[in-house]
Formats: sequence, C-alpha cells, structure tokens
Amino acid sequence: MQIRDYILRRLIVLPFLIVGVSIIVFGLTRIGGSPVAIYLSHEMSSEEVAEIEARFHLDEPVPVQYAYWARGVLQGDLGWSGVAAAPVTAVFPNKLAATMELAVASAVVAVSLGIGLGTYAGARRNKLPDHITRIISISGAAMPLFWFAIVMLIVFWVYLGWFPIGRSTPEVFASISHPTGLYTVDALLAGSFTAFRDAIWHLVLPALTLGYGATAIIARMMRSSLVEELQEEYVDAARAKGLAERLVLRRHARRNALMPTVTVIGLSFGFLLQGTIVAEIIFRWPGLGRWMADSVLRGDRATIMAYVLFTSVLFLVVNLVVDVVYAYLDRRVVLGS
Amino acid sequence: MRSSTWRWAALLLALTMVAAACNSATTDTTQPAENTETTNTPTGGDEVKNPGLLVHAADDEPSTLDPAQVEPGEGGETVILQVYERLLEIGSGGPDLVPGLATEVPTVDNGLISADGMTYTFKLREGVKFHDGTDFTASDVKYSWDRAMEMDLPEGAAGVLSDIVTEVRVVDDFTVEVELQKASAAFLNTTVVAMVSSIVSEDAVEANGGIVAGEQNDFMQGNMVGTGPYTLTAWNRGENIQLEIYDDYWGTPAFLDVRIEIGPTPDVRVLGLRAGDFDTIEADPSFIGEIEGAEGVTIFGEGLTVEPIHIGFNLNIPEGALPAEDTIPTNFFHDPRVRRASNHAFDYQGFIDGALGGFGDFNPHYIPQGIFGYDPAAPVYGTQDLAKAEELFTEAGYCPDGFVVSVITEEANLFETAALVLKDSLESLPCNIEVRVLAVAEAQFDDAHAQDPIEYAMWVKNADPFADPHSYLSSYQHPDGEWGVIHGFANGYADPQKVADLIDAAEVELDADARAAIYSELQFLLYDDPMWLIAGQEGVVAAYRSWLKGWESNPLWPRPSLKFALIDK
Repeated sequence: MQIRDYILRRLIVLPFLIVGVSIIVFGLTRIGGSPVAIYLSHEMSSEEVAEIEARFHLDEPVPVQYAYWARGVLQGDLGWSGVAAAPVTAVFPNKLAATMELAVASAVVAVSLGIGLGTYAGARRNKLPDHITRIISISGAAMPLFWFAIVMLIVFWVYLGWFPIGRSTPEVFASISHPTGLYTVDALLAGSFTAFRDAIWHLVLPALTLGYGATAIIARMMRSSLVEELQEEYVDAARAKGLAERLVLRRHARRNALMPTVTVIGLSFGFLLQGTIVAEIIFRWPGLGRWMADSVLRGDRATIMAYVLFTSVLFLVVNLVVDVVYAYLDRRVVLGS
Repeated sequence: MRSSTWRWAALLLALTMVAAACNSATTDTTQPAENTETTNTPTGGDEVKNPGLLVHAADDEPSTLDPAQVEPGEGGETVILQVYERLLEIGSGGPDLVPGLATEVPTVDNGLISADGMTYTFKLREGVKFHDGTDFTASDVKYSWDRAMEMDLPEGAAGVLSDIVTEVRVVDDFTVEVELQKASAAFLNTTVVAMVSSIVSEDAVEANGGIVAGEQNDFMQGNMVGTGPYTLTAWNRGENIQLEIYDDYWGTPAFLDVRIEIGPTPDVRVLGLRAGDFDTIEADPSFIGEIEGAEGVTIFGEGLTVEPIHIGFNLNIPEGALPAEDTIPTNFFHDPRVRRASNHAFDYQGFIDGALGGFGDFNPHYIPQGIFGYDPAAPVYGTQDLAKAEELFTEAGYCPDGFVVSVITEEANLFETAALVLKDSLESLPCNIEVRVLAVAEAQFDDAHAQDPIEYAMWVKNADPFADPHSYLSSYQHPDGEWGVIHGFANGYADPQKVADLIDAAEVELDADARAAIYSELQFLLYDDPMWLIAGQEGVVAAYRSWLKGWESNPLWPRPSLKFALIDK
C-alpha cells in the first residue's frame, strides 16, 4: 500500500476513534458521580442542586448530555472549567504552553546530563568515575519525584535563596505580551532580557528536578552503547592509525552510541510529561498537570474531558506520524498489510 | 553530536546558572521604588523581603469574586472582604459591629431601629468613591442588595437577604431604610455584615451586563468595583491575585500592596514562610510542628474559629439506601439514647490534643464560643465517658449485639481524623460496634452531602461561620430549618415544637439579656437531646513572618480571618 493511501485510510478512521474514546471517557466520568459536584457548596439544598443541574442540562439522560457536549466541541466550546473559573478553551492554550516549556527544559537537562554522564562513565568502564556516575544517575530514577522536589526546595529556595518558586515574577510577567504562551520565547520576542532572565530563573529548579529523574535511563543507555561501540573493530582501526583516544571517542564511538540513545530520549519525553503533574503541583507551575490534578480532585468533568480528548488526539496523531516516518526510513516496513 | 554542540550546551547551562545567581542577588528593576532594597537573604535574615508588598499563601482559589455569587466560607470571600465594603463591619477585637459605609450602628436607642424592630435606617458616609471614580450613594446600596436577591444564584447566599428583607428604600442620597419581613435581632450580625451584602457600583454593573435573574454576571465574577482600601489589579487564575492600595480610600489607607499566592501545597506554604517569600500562610494546627522554632516566624494561637466540627446523625434515612454493610435500622438515631451514647463515647480530649494540636476547645450545642449567646455554664460533652455510653447503648438494645455503621467524610483532613476518632471511640466499647470510615474526595463528599435525603447514617463536616447565634440554630437545630428538614430532626426531638418556639422567640427578641437567656435554655435542652456530635471547636492558628506589624485576626472575618489593610512591615 502506498504511504499516501495509508495516511488517507488512517485519517478517515481517526474521527471514529476520537468519538469512541470520547464516549468511553464521558461514560467513565459519570461513574464517579454527577458532574454537578464541582458547582456544589457544602450547604446547598437539593432544590438549589436541581437548579444547577437544569442550568447545565445535567438532569437529562447521559446520551443527551453527551450530545450537548459533542455539539459544544464541534462548535469549539469545550465547556466551563469550574477549577479555572473560565471556559476550557480560554485556559487550555496557556496551560499547555506552560507545561510544554517545563517539559522541554527538563528534557534539555535530562539529555545533557544523561549523555554527559553516560559518556563519561562508558569511557571509564568499571573505574571509580564509572561507579560514581552510575550512582548519581540511578539515584535520579530511584528518588521519588515529590520527595526530591521538596528537598530541592528546602536547599535552593529556603536555605540558599538562589531560585524561586512559581513560573514568574508577576510584575515582570505582566510587563510583556504573551503571543505564544511560552514565557522564554515571549521574552525573547519582546526583547526583554529581564523577562528572559526571570523565565530561566524560575525554570531552573523544576527543570533540574524533573530532568534529573529522567537522566538515569538516558545515561545507562548511553553508557552501555558506548561500551559496546568501544569494542568494535572500527574503533581499534581508528586507534591503530594513531588517532588520539579523545578523538576516537568523540568522532567515532560516541556518535554511533547516540543512535539507540536517541530512541530512549523519545520515550523519556513521555516520562517527563507525566512527571510535570507532580512537579507542577510542588513548584506551583501553572500548567496542564496542576490543572488536571485539581480538576480530578474537584470533579471538574469539562476539564478532564478536554484533557483526555487532547491527549487522545495527540496520541493518535503521533502514532500515525511515527508509523509513517518509520515506513519512510525503513523500506522493509509495509504499511497496512 | 558534534563537540561544538556540547560546548554550546555547557555554555548555555553555565549561563543559566549565572543568570539565576545574578537574578537572585540583584534587584528587580520592575518593582516599585522601595523594592529596590530587596535582597534575598537566607532564612533567618532579619532584612524584610518584598518591602511594600504583603504576600499571603492561600490554599484555595476563589471560584468567583462577585458578592452575589460567592459561597459562604469560599476563597472568594477573602478577597471580597478586602475590596468591597458593607454598611457595617465586624470590628477588630471581637464580635462588636463598627460603622462601615454607614456612619452609625443602628440601635433602638439612637432611633435607627424602629420600636417594632421592623425598620432599620442607615445613614451613609458621604464623599466615598468607588474604584471606578463614581460616587457612592444610597442608590448603590439598594441596587447591590436588590441585585443579589434578583439574581438569586443557588451557589450564592442571596437567602441571607431575601429571607428577611422586604424592601430597601432610598430616602435620600445618603440614607436608606430597610423594611424587614419580621423583627429580627439577628439582622445586623447575619445580613448586613455578610459578604453577599457588599456594596457594588451600580454604574459598573449596569455598564457590564446589568442584572439578569438566575444568571451569573461574567464581568463581576472576575472584576471588582468596590469602595474598600484595595483595588483588584490582577487575577492570574491558578497563580495569584494582586491587590493594590486604593489611593482615594475614604478611611485609613492600607500600608501594603497584596499578592495572594493561590494553592501552594501545605508543605510548600510552610517552606515559603520559612524562606520569607510568604508573609502569612493559610494554616491549621497540623502545621505547627513544622513551623515551631523557625527563625523569623511567629505562631499565633489564640481564640477559636466559629466553625464547629460536627458529626451528623441522620434521622431521615431512606429505606434501603445505606451501604450494604450497615446493619443499623433506619430509625437508629430517632432514639435519643443512641445520640447521647455516641456523644459520651467520643474521645474529645484525644481529638483536640491530637488532631487539633491542642488548639481547640469543647463546644456546646450549637453556639460556638465567641458568639453572642454562648453560655459557659451550659453542660457540654467534653469528657469521654465510656461507661455511660455502654449503659445507654445497652438500654437502647444495641449492646452487646452491636451494629455496623458507615461514616462518610472528606479524605485527608481534620474531618477524616474526627471520623477515625469516632471509630476508635465506639469500637473500644464492649458492644461489638463496627464503624466504617468512608473517606472520599471533596467533590464526591459534596455530591453525597447534597442529597435529600442523605444516603448515609453519619458524616463529618464543619458549620459555616456566622456572627449571630440565630444563624447556627436556625440552620443546624431548628426542626423546620434548612438541615432540620433534610435530616429529619422532628423525628428525634422529644419536643420539636419547643425547640422551634425557643429558636423563633430568640430571633425576634430585641432585648439582649432576654435573648441570651433563651439561648442558654436551648443549650441545656440540646445537651439532653443532641442532634449532633460536636467533635470540637478548632482554635485559631496562624503563622506569619515576625517582621509584620499590626497583625490582627478575627475568626468572624472570612478565612484567613485577616484584614490585609491593617498590616504593615
């Protein structure tokens, strides 16, 4: 099957999959009780509850409620977020941008540390530096994120006072416009060094915390790949022709060792996105993760639905892209067979 | 990857660290002038952080800033207290009323309350301006109260007005008269000072959607145009709320701008206080262990909150509704011996010493300490008496055969702890009792608690805070009151009519001594015929940086019980 036909077929199926997912999730959100809970106060009478249910059509049968929700989605209305006290569509882009900014910064930390430590350890196999770097990298994966985050706060926020908490200094944040929602990018677009510095200053602690947790798997993969590559004949050949060990490592072995590591880096990004939920709660990062956690606790069904819909679409599209890219790169793969 | 790329990465990382270090050590050029002295000192440094700014860490975000929509006890009330004003306010030192936008507290003696107690006159302050620059007049008062009643949003507290007010009349630009449906000694303390009675700018509302019955006003939900010492400058949802000193305020101006940081977890709030980035934090007794001894931090622990923590008895259990494990009959709590036995069995001291960290006290039924009408001579369930409890359960036929009962509660807070103390207390009796504690998420609890009738035999909650005893008794004890009907109090009181008559009589009794005597009688009566198990009255606990001056707390103000305008650094 031609790639074009395959993409077309997948695109035709895509909406059905999304509708299927949305029906399942919509049904599941109703199992935990009525979505009216987000609007309730402790002392509300049953008449007042009924009034609110009628206002949001929650007194209708579930399929009718789904129809209202689906119609809203098609019209670009994902509902009202009780947690954010605003329409979901108005809040979502900024939250997503905040989360992506943190995830990307964490990925930079994880990749830098992971590849650096992995290379350092692999080139000194079974020597003291190898053992030390392994301890450093593995401890990142072993420590629970919530605990490590608190420790980082105690050290760098409370005692040293080097880094703050939150995403920005409010006055600085308000001093520039935010066309992309990515604070660092917006700061650069505005040409404000103060804002850029503020963005980075706030990013360092959560990104280091989150990135450190993802370092281990990258470092381990890098180390083992490098150890393997260093045993290859082409490395011996390079050494035999008199190339300095430093150059053998940099120009030959490390470059090849990076290939499998890159795959792991892709997987680690998923871990980072998951980790943002905990990191956002502890570091007061106003992203999707914190919003979702609050929404789940407070029963904000509109937000949960929007989040699940978003991740489902993302997952389906990424899957499609991966399949196509894979087929493009490796002609032995036959799509749709 | 090319080696040059690595160098760039290393350089970028180094620059980041340097930038961060520079940022922490240098001043912020966008701060107000006085902030240029800001330095980040390690914990314990005595240099004031963020001069000119009060940073409060709250645990909750408002769902609305509209007085007509805000739910009593909800985060929005905190902000409304600072930005809007009411005709009268609760003063700093205690429950006494002080003039707000009215110039005098009405009394029968000063002629501002009619002899029959049906008409209240408020003389208004002149020269007051709203934050949008318009003048405050009597018309704004009428508009604000009528607006809340007309909108009548279920999540709001419009009933506080509509249950008692017949009409608000504008006499002249600076005089309003309020006609009541019946004489009410509770009117000033219950209605006039309530957040729903805050005065909003008529012009601002009319320019932004006006009044639509049954519908929220989107503008007012996120914007505030009041007369108070602060203006709202920003509400960054999920992050912070910023208040600025209102320069044209008619009264004593505030000292500091305010930033309310929204939703740090309890651990982070404590760390922020230690770091000096937060000046005050939303605290409860469970925080004290973590804060005690912290340099530069003051712990305040005086007085009691006015939100008693109660365990409810359902006297209106629907047939077949209880969890399958429960073995109690639907009329279980109709028997006063069962209610009294439960009250005797509870380990009050354990709850206060443990869960409340010693910051709390026992509470009679159902007037909290600190509220008018509280009678210290009234009997109170404050000592665990297992022998008496066993005797009463035996008399009622539930000992030694026992029973299984479920208690629903929110998870991971004081309410769950109270439920666990109840479980421990009842199960320590030689009666084969099993208490199942169903700790659920807040939203799930609210959903269950909002059912009519409620489908659980027992639950744990606290009362809404009120400034007048009538609000407590009409809501929580009156057989025909809001909860009395839902929970079937009439099925249990030995003499429901007597309870109702006493509560109704106290409401209209304008003589303070006579009114207090009625409340005293009620407290004795409700001890013998309890409708609740009051686990305790939580102490006021707060923690703040010692560099704050003028710090005052009044539990009758919405949580965190602070007026920011009184605080300086």
